[in-house]
Amino acid sequence: MVAGFAILAVWEFLTALGVVAFRRPIYNAMSLVANMLGLAVLFLLLNAQFLFAAQIIVYAGAVMVLFVFIIALLNPGPELTLERRGTEWIYAAVFGVIFAVLLGALLFNRSLTGRPGKLTPEAINAVGNVQSTGAALYTSFLLPVEVTSVLLLVAAVGAVYLAMRRIR
Amino acid sequence: MPVPAYSFLMLSGVLFTMGAIGFLLRRNPLVVFMCIELMLNAVNLAFAAMSRYLNSLDGVVFAFLVITVAAAEVVVGIAIIVQVYRAGRQMDVDELDLMKE
Repeated sequence: MVAGFAILAVWEFLTALGVVAFRRPIYNAMSLVANMLGLAVLFLLLNAQFLFAAQIIVYAGAVMVLFVFIIALLNPGPELTLERRGTEWIYAAVFGVIFAVLLGALLFNRSLTGRPGKLTPEAINAVGNVQSTGAALYTSFLLPVEVTSVLLLVAAVGAVYLAMRRIR
Repeated sequence: MPVPAYSFLMLSGVLFTMGAIGFLLRRNPLVVFMCIELMLNAVNLAFAAMSRYLNSLDGVVFAFLVITVAAAEVVVGIAIIVQVYRAGRQMDVDELDLMKE
């Protein structure tokens, strides 16, 4: 279990590095696919089988296919490195230090509190992971689910509108 | 031996930071979007980890909602990027300053 987590953590780090560092967008997209598949396996380690399936279908399937399709359509070349103005590095240093302090506080924080609930992995697996997740989705989280469905509708209409409109 | 919860949170923090770095450094709007996805994924990992270690399903449900919102965001964002490209602009977020005018 720990060894599996360690391998996956290294995998996630390397693929995330690929997303940030590769010059060609198609390599970035492929790294992101690898990153999302690794994350799906991490969800399995966390006993979230429903999230594993949703991650693979929605992210690695739909979203990344859209990305790769758009990259193939637009065919953007590798980025050029432009020369930068001098003052940007001052802001970069200041905010970099702030962000590093925040990250350090996160990494060495051992005082998170929380009241454990009743749904232990054994209790969830006795009912079934999808069943318990579905019950939570459609009972205590009904309003967020409905709001999200309206958001999806708005996004679909907005995308169609944007695609129809011709800009000069 | 189970994996401690903090290791998941650390990995989540590291992934989020890498996404933020990429968001700030990269210029191609598509890659900027991918870095946003990276950050959302990191948050999902934290949600799922806390859900597992606090014996609750709330985090899983929220991670699912985050996945949905991310899909909606990508649809609209990519539609805008394609429109910008069709208008003949450069694929460079530093050059896109139409909102200033």
